[in-house]
Amino acid sequence: MFGHRRNDTGRDNPDNVVLEPRDVTFDWADLPTHWVPDEPLVTHTCNVLHLLLPAGERWFVDLFTQAIPLIKDDKLREDVLGFIGQETIHARSHQGVLDHWKTWGIDTDPYVAQIEWMFRATLGERDLPATRREEWLIERLAIIAAIEHITATLGNWVLNSPALDAAQADPTMLDLLRWHGAEEVVHRAVAFDLFTHLDGRYLPRARAMLITAPIMLWLWVRGVVFLMRTDPKLGGRVKPRWRHFFRASRRHLLPPAHQLVGQTLNYCRPFYHPSKEFSTDQAVAYLASSPAATAAAV
Amino acid sequence: MDDYQIPPPDLRGRAHPDRMFRMLGALITAFESLTNCAHLRRPPTQRVDRDLNLVVDEIRVEGQDVRSFRLVAAGGEKLPSWQPGCHLDVLLPTGRRRQYSLCGDPRDRGSYRIAVRRIAAGAGGSRELHDCVGTGSTLTARGPRNAFPYVRAGGYLFIAGGIGITPILPMVKQAAADGAPWQLVYTGRSRASMPFLDELSELDPARVRLRSYDECGFPPSGSEILQYAPDRATVYCCGPAPIIANVRRDLPDSAAQALHFERFTAPPIVDGQPFEIALTRSNRVLTVPPDRSALEAIRQQIPDIAYSCRQGFCGTCRTRVISGEVDHRDRVLTDRERTDTMTTCVSRSRGDQIVLDL
Repeated sequence: MFGHRRNDTGRDNPDNVVLEPRDVTFDWADLPTHWVPDEPLVTHTCNVLHLLLPAGERWFVDLFTQAIPLIKDDKLREDVLGFIGQETIHARSHQGVLDHWKTWGIDTDPYVAQIEWMFRATLGERDLPATRREEWLIERLAIIAAIEHITATLGNWVLNSPALDAAQADPTMLDLLRWHGAEEVVHRAVAFDLFTHLDGRYLPRARAMLITAPIMLWLWVRGVVFLMRTDPKLGGRVKPRWRHFFRASRRHLLPPAHQLVGQTLNYCRPFYHPSKEFSTDQAVAYLASSPAATAAAV
Repeated sequence: MDDYQIPPPDLRGRAHPDRMFRMLGALITAFESLTNCAHLRRPPTQRVDRDLNLVVDEIRVEGQDVRSFRLVAAGGEKLPSWQPGCHLDVLLPTGRRRQYSLCGDPRDRGSYRIAVRRIAAGAGGSRELHDCVGTGSTLTARGPRNAFPYVRAGGYLFIAGGIGITPILPMVKQAAADGAPWQLVYTGRSRASMPFLDELSELDPARVRLRSYDECGFPPSGSEILQYAPDRATVYCCGPAPIIANVRRDLPDSAAQALHFERFTAPPIVDGQPFEIALTRSNRVLTVPPDRSALEAIRQQIPDIAYSCRQGFCGTCRTRVISGEVDHRDRVLTDRERTDTMTTCVSRSRGDQIVLDL
């Protein structure tokens, strides 16, 4: 699948990569309901991304846009602008899957409405005095940095998941996940660097991860339960079980739990920096061969 | 009551708001109040100076109309490291900003090298470097940054068109040093106009193919170039747009499997007419020249404005239009959105003036 395989040390990674959004499009006309054949749990665990990301990434874009005037580093500002464009296209691409499901009669609105409420209302603009408004913005940037560490972890995993190819997962969906994953790996340090530039204290950074990781896990579990219940092919007969998850990750169809927990704790180390993890090399190489990214108009 | 105090409906459609989300709302409210006193201790944001002060140390003629500039730090210190594919953002004495690929040796931390072809009919950046910058001149630069990253692969086909050899040259040398299978197809108007032939002659001549448009026509077809690709090669291509287009089109039928090409950030503005923008909130009127975008003009006034792709597809720079007829050139807005908004990165005014909510 890949021209070369890299270790995770980040050695030899090209530095200072310019971030540019890619104008990708995906055609879902041939998408099967269970795009990992005979693996509804694997399919729906990945599908939760489509439920969470459009609202989440629009929220990132909104907060990053608000943060631009606070930035006193031109290089970081360029990175933030590139990040904003990439996240906008990510949100749009995942939204495309939701829109396609609608044509199948799958209604994800109840779940998505909750996610939108979380980002727009609880994590949105609150009625705060001016001094607290900036603190609230920066605290939420710490949450984005934590989420971005998780998305980079998942992106790195999906770039190294030949078992999904072997299981004959739908190539267009795999390309969406890997294109997105590769861009997450390439821009993995931006949110962290933005938080470091504006605040940088250890406690708020670690605290943000400690609140973010459990909430994401909880939303993910709810999402899988919701999708399995809504799936017209399953008709509510198949219930998700933890043992199915562990079995699938042992077969490398889903990320192993220990890797997710390990990376969450890794983020909480005082001298952590995202550039020390994952391979920019591999992500850049994928983007040069991804069907969607190479077809993108320029 | 604020929106965030009313949780969304329950997932199973029961009458009460979702209890779990009510708890989540309370949790995040508590989290926010934790941050309440944080501003007492948050350190102030430090300004980061990214300017490199450089001195032109040596100028060499590398080919017809092509000169290379060896740049060293004004204070003699080590320069920031770079990898093949990196470019430098150079601020010229007149204030023009131009990007030039680094074409020297990445292991040499004492100097950078850029090479520039003088384009008599160009926008003036190359003329300025050729005509007004001499040995000992000072230049301010930013970077290096990498928009064309060179990554390790099993084999390479490098394609350079004319001055497009600049980012390719360090890549070829790196691939040769790594012992990877590689091929170079180097095209140009004529042999005399193609820089760095002397440096390339130090490499394995069986791997270097020179093609001048005098001999083989322009643009060469993609398949003609791609026939030299080693099996499952990664292609790096930098050159005129028609060559890149041909290579992109013929890549799927070749032995190559991946393509990197140097993307130019802002494609030229076609049929641009000058116009004025009135900014209501900042109470200013700006003039947009025919060869600049509305966004560029706005950025001069509002440096913190959000934008991203500069090609009209991401929609980040979408702005509300208060009056004026817009020539929409984006590929992102819906017809509904076009009634009262525009993307300033590519769209222009049909008339003399548009009024924007900025």
